[in-house]
Amino acid sequence: MTGREPDGDIVLIDVVHAFRQQAQSLRVLDGLSLTIGDGEFVSLVGPSGCGKTTVLDLMNGLVPLQRGTLLIGGRPPAAGRPDTARMFARDALLPWRTAYANIDFAIATRERDAARRDGIIRALLADVGLSGFEHAYPGQLSQGMRQRVALARTFSLESKHIFLDEPFGALDAQTKLVLQDQLLRLWERVRSTVVLVSHDLAEAVALSDRVIVMSARPGRIIADMRIDLPRPRSATRLQAMREFHELYAQLWSELERAVGPPS
Amino acid sequence: MTSEPAALDVPVDAAEPAPEPVRQRRWMVPAGRLLVLVAAAGGWEAMARLNILPAAFIGQPSVFLPLLVHQLLGGAILRAIADTLSATLAAFAVGGVLALATALVLTIAPPLRAVLEPYLDALNALPRVALVPLFIVWFGLGALSKIVSGISLMYFILLYNTLAGAHSVDPDHVRLARSLGLSGQRVFLRIVLPTAAPSIFAGLRLGLVYTLLGVVTAELIAGGRGLGSLISYYSNTFDANGVFAVLVVLVILADLLSGLMTRIERRLTRWKQ
Repeated sequence: MTGREPDGDIVLIDVVHAFRQQAQSLRVLDGLSLTIGDGEFVSLVGPSGCGKTTVLDLMNGLVPLQRGTLLIGGRPPAAGRPDTARMFARDALLPWRTAYANIDFAIATRERDAARRDGIIRALLADVGLSGFEHAYPGQLSQGMRQRVALARTFSLESKHIFLDEPFGALDAQTKLVLQDQLLRLWERVRSTVVLVSHDLAEAVALSDRVIVMSARPGRIIADMRIDLPRPRSATRLQAMREFHELYAQLWSELERAVGPPS
Repeated sequence: MTSEPAALDVPVDAAEPAPEPVRQRRWMVPAGRLLVLVAAAGGWEAMARLNILPAAFIGQPSVFLPLLVHQLLGGAILRAIADTLSATLAAFAVGGVLALATALVLTIAPPLRAVLEPYLDALNALPRVALVPLFIVWFGLGALSKIVSGISLMYFILLYNTLAGAHSVDPDHVRLARSLGLSGQRVFLRIVLPTAAPSIFAGLRLGLVYTLLGVVTAELIAGGRGLGSLISYYSNTFDANGVFAVLVVLVILADLLSGLMTRIERRLTRWKQ
């Protein structure tokens, strides 16, 4: 696709996926092929219903692969693989557990050493600016703070492959930038392979090495754009950069082609 | 779960306790309740004394309350209380565990649930009182038949409450758990049970009272030494005051058990407050 194929940490070849709706079969992915390099930060953007989340569900092993090839780190996907982590659109925090216990809920599935877990949890809560909120329940936190806990939970797993499903979709513009910066800081330390699904183009440009534009259903790739902004980046500071806005405008026109002209 | 507005970025422990709106005097509600009780007992007493209804039929608070105190001090009724209460707690525990285990299996295996549900509904529709004579035939006149009678109520109440509560599980929580690789059993214990906790507790509270009633019903029919047997003894000897004395004990017992459940519930669902 890109001409210069990286080593291929995540590989999709001719992935086809259909949902059964009533008696009809609804094709959501139509021969999707994509190679994502080791440590690459890739965003999938496209109109709603184009199968972006299905791609994440397939990679995460939550939905069985119907046709085609899909390899995560050289192996087929499976739910609960310790080298994969998933972050959901809404925070998916358990309301009966404190911020600390919510992170522990995830990390305890991978790490048996309680002292080591404790260190990781406290360090991550500090990283996302939530020191002192260990014992707060989700109901006592703002939406932005809840998403930060969810972000900390995702990175606490120290997974090689991270799948983010519109993680900041529910946030206001200001909070979103703050969280994007926190995500960038966390990621730049570990450089895991990230697949981000988003319908916010500015977010995709600000965070990614590559932005993949998908067509309306059935989803196919119609553009694969490299984002050569220097790293380490800050989503907040990018807002003032001309290159950022140019890339954004370019991506917009690609997406417009995908959705068709406004009616 | 969704109703409370999220606090802004303020440290939670820094928040002062909210001032109470319109300060209600603490003694007013208990005093009002006591007033209703005294008025009811007084009206009752008056009806009996003025012979509006014959005292032999309706009893007389001025007779059965002292009788109750006398029985309590004498220890005669304590034995019956212990008997009924132990059977109730046994039925509560066994019925509760069976109900939760059934809920686990039915939640993990939806096809099984679809197959079994109409039969469970049918069993639950059976009038338990009508089954008690059979329980006595099957399990004898002793404690076992009344425990089974209690279980037959407890089991269904808690099972249905747990299943109803499990229905409100957030699909995102299940997806999170699956993406972390949790087994179906773990998902039930870590996600479904806590989500269903409020309705499980409603089921436990209701189930406890109904278990007590189930046990007393069996005692009424089977005799023996429990409170139900005492009621049946008094009513067979046309002693209305004796019946009411036992009924007062039953009401207090049910109230205490239900209050105990509420306290446990508050402790375990602190995150909601």
